[in-house]
Amino acid sequence: MQVKGVAFLSFISLEFFLFFAVSAVVYFVLPHKFRWIWLLAASCFFYLCYNSWYAIFLGVSTLVTYASGLLIGKSARLADPVRAARQKKIWVALSFCINIGILSVFKYLNLFSEIGAGILSLTGVPTAAAHFDLLLPVGISFYTFQALSYTVDVYRGDVPPERHLGKYALFVSFFPQVTSGPIEKSKNFLPQLDEVHIFDYDRARRGVLLMLWGYFQKMVVADRLGVLVDTVYGDQAQYYGLASIVAVIFYAFQIYCDFAGYTNIAIGAAEMMGFRLTTNFDRPYFSRSIQEFWRRWHISLGSWFKDYLYIPLGGSRCSAFRRCLNLMTVFVVCGLWHGDSVNFLIWGALHGLYQVAGLLSKRLRKNVRDRLGIGESSAWYRALQTAFTFLLVSFAWIFFRAETLPDAAAMIGNLFRFNPASLWDGSLFSLGLTQPEFLAAVLGIFVVAAVDFIKRRWDLRSVVLGSNAAVRWSVYLTAALMLAVFGTYGSEYNAQQFIYTKF
Amino acid sequence: MRKKMIGKSLLFTALLAVLLAALSPIFVYKTEHRAKLEEGLYLSDDQYDVIFMGSSHMNGGLDPNVIWNQQGIPSFNYATGGQSLDVTYYLLKEVLKTHKSPFVVVDLFYLGMTTQYGESGLISNTVDNMQFSGNKLETIWNCVSPQDRIAYLLPVLKYHFRWSSLQEKDFGFDVASLYYSKGFAAGTNRYGKPNSEWKATDNRIDIPEKSLEYLNKIIDLSKTENFDLIFINMPCDYSEAEKESDWVNDCEALFNTVADVAQENGIPFLDLYDKKDEVGLDFANDMNNAGHLNLWGAYKISSYFGNYLAENYDLEDHRSDSAYAQWNEDYKYSQAASVT
Repeated sequence: MQVKGVAFLSFISLEFFLFFAVSAVVYFVLPHKFRWIWLLAASCFFYLCYNSWYAIFLGVSTLVTYASGLLIGKSARLADPVRAARQKKIWVALSFCINIGILSVFKYLNLFSEIGAGILSLTGVPTAAAHFDLLLPVGISFYTFQALSYTVDVYRGDVPPERHLGKYALFVSFFPQVTSGPIEKSKNFLPQLDEVHIFDYDRARRGVLLMLWGYFQKMVVADRLGVLVDTVYGDQAQYYGLASIVAVIFYAFQIYCDFAGYTNIAIGAAEMMGFRLTTNFDRPYFSRSIQEFWRRWHISLGSWFKDYLYIPLGGSRCSAFRRCLNLMTVFVVCGLWHGDSVNFLIWGALHGLYQVAGLLSKRLRKNVRDRLGIGESSAWYRALQTAFTFLLVSFAWIFFRAETLPDAAAMIGNLFRFNPASLWDGSLFSLGLTQPEFLAAVLGIFVVAAVDFIKRRWDLRSVVLGSNAAVRWSVYLTAALMLAVFGTYGSEYNAQQFIYTKF
Repeated sequence: MRKKMIGKSLLFTALLAVLLAALSPIFVYKTEHRAKLEEGLYLSDDQYDVIFMGSSHMNGGLDPNVIWNQQGIPSFNYATGGQSLDVTYYLLKEVLKTHKSPFVVVDLFYLGMTTQYGESGLISNTVDNMQFSGNKLETIWNCVSPQDRIAYLLPVLKYHFRWSSLQEKDFGFDVASLYYSKGFAAGTNRYGKPNSEWKATDNRIDIPEKSLEYLNKIIDLSKTENFDLIFINMPCDYSEAEKESDWVNDCEALFNTVADVAQENGIPFLDLYDKKDEVGLDFANDMNNAGHLNLWGAYKISSYFGNYLAENYDLEDHRSDSAYAQWNEDYKYSQAASVT
């Protein structure tokens, strides 16, 4: 799916640095009562730079969910509780219908068209599916879910209706996270708009460090890995065996560094201005099960599905069969949230199946462990679990990355066409990355993995900021130089859009 | 607190800029253009009586070694590929810091450029190889498109991709290997085709706005800095340039206008395109390609121009001057030596 608009204010641009610097400085200079206006204006400008006409849909989503909050609040005050409950449900349903309706038109119209044509064909009316070449408004999946969470939170009474339209609009369109999240919950973010943020030097430094780490993940690691991944996925007739295995592993880290990189830049930028955004990643590739992986990967989306779909469906407090069905439903929907292709559906379904299999085999696995005398907490067993989880996740990513189902099938087939000569004939260095670039890519993976490993025990930002000035400045300058020299920007690199801005 | 943050941010930016500036020379391409500008601008102690400025037409057109060998006039060729007139102006100012009142010979082929800025990759031939100075800053400000200016100020930002292919010479470029060439480099291909059919014309067209602005600046500079100017146009088949969207579509008419401007200002203008018979130039054998002379064509043109200088100006013959003894030695290594 194509995204409308040029990335004039992409996080990876000098323009964004200037925009953010001006936004942050003016934010702190202005009196508190005017700050929301400034941030809203900056957020509108940021979004309009991507998507001028399609900003209308951001506006519609904002107005509809804002109105739903007020109407739900009004209905809640009715004397007749039965009528109140009915009315509240109507407002929630309307808000969902309009928002999901807009989202569906842009993301699923072709899918609906194909399904409709298929049904007609089955009834004996041969019909060619109409194809709609719609461009996807940037961030629509993210802001739609964020806005809908507000409707549900007000319905549930978790937050009062927000009467201030401007502040509510800022909640939906806040520029650091409007294009790719984290998907904020209103109860977390709206109260922060009323907080008086005084400039905090230490907080600003923490924000800068997180942004630097995000840029490193994206520019030094993700986009470099992406060169090899694009080469192999782009010509599967030519590349197989070790090349395919490396491409699958590289993609697992590419998408992590790309998305986590974006998120860290967004969280760091917000943090500098005093806002606390939701953590979106927590060392996901150290997960020991798929269930744990989803507590650590795209946490804000997982949390959204848990709160607004999985639990309403019955969650875990039901029969095993129902629980499995709920899991499958949630993950199929999660797959489709990314797009209407069969591959996303399979990717989601695979994660659902992994979890169902994990649940159903829990007793069996325990019995095997007991018989073999393997302690659940033994280091090698934990390492094995982590490796196996990574294997499952990486396998599922094949469907996420491949353009079509036949492409994904070809990729899987290629994994098993072993070509031992590729271990020593240097062919790995002809996949778009020269030998030094390849080694830099591998080193980048190790650095990211090492930092994640260390983060288990230590808050690295606190360690750096607690060091003496020489260490701190060395870290800052080294990081900036690494980005300047090893970053994949400029005319010789095909700088890649953040992967999740496509959703 | 805010002031502390702003102060430290500025300090950080300054330190980072210094580090990037220090790294930049490693990443800049080590070309013959870099060698000649290092030699001609910063390393050489020789005083040049004549200097040549311009684009690739001049770079491979006038050979200082030929002029030295035949007339004893020390000169240096500062032309670089794609050097537009605005870049020539600032480079000339940089040259004049160390070489006072030389004869300045400017090739005007690039007057035909109609765009605001020259091609980025070609401007680099000059700008990347100038040391940090007011002239370099002015060149970047006036000759480089706004979005590229920071990358020209800190070239590591545009050449950082070279980190994986850096060679030994990137850490210590030996310009001495090209010292003897005095800035000249010509191809050894023989074009093999005659010049395109064209008709002489008395038409005039306007010189593109920015080219005219800098042509006038160069003329003004010659008056304030008190040096003699000579304009030149090398033999060339215009038909290729005239097809380009960023070029005037009638070069002959353009150079008629140039002749008028030169006459108004009392500046000699040698249109060698028109003098090819007088020079004895055989287009098929003496051109490297449609736009550039080859080694043998350059030899003929250099001989012609050396004679022109000797006949029209009172320039001293330094061949027996002990201060220039090395020049006789250098000639033996030059491209010209292979012609004779």
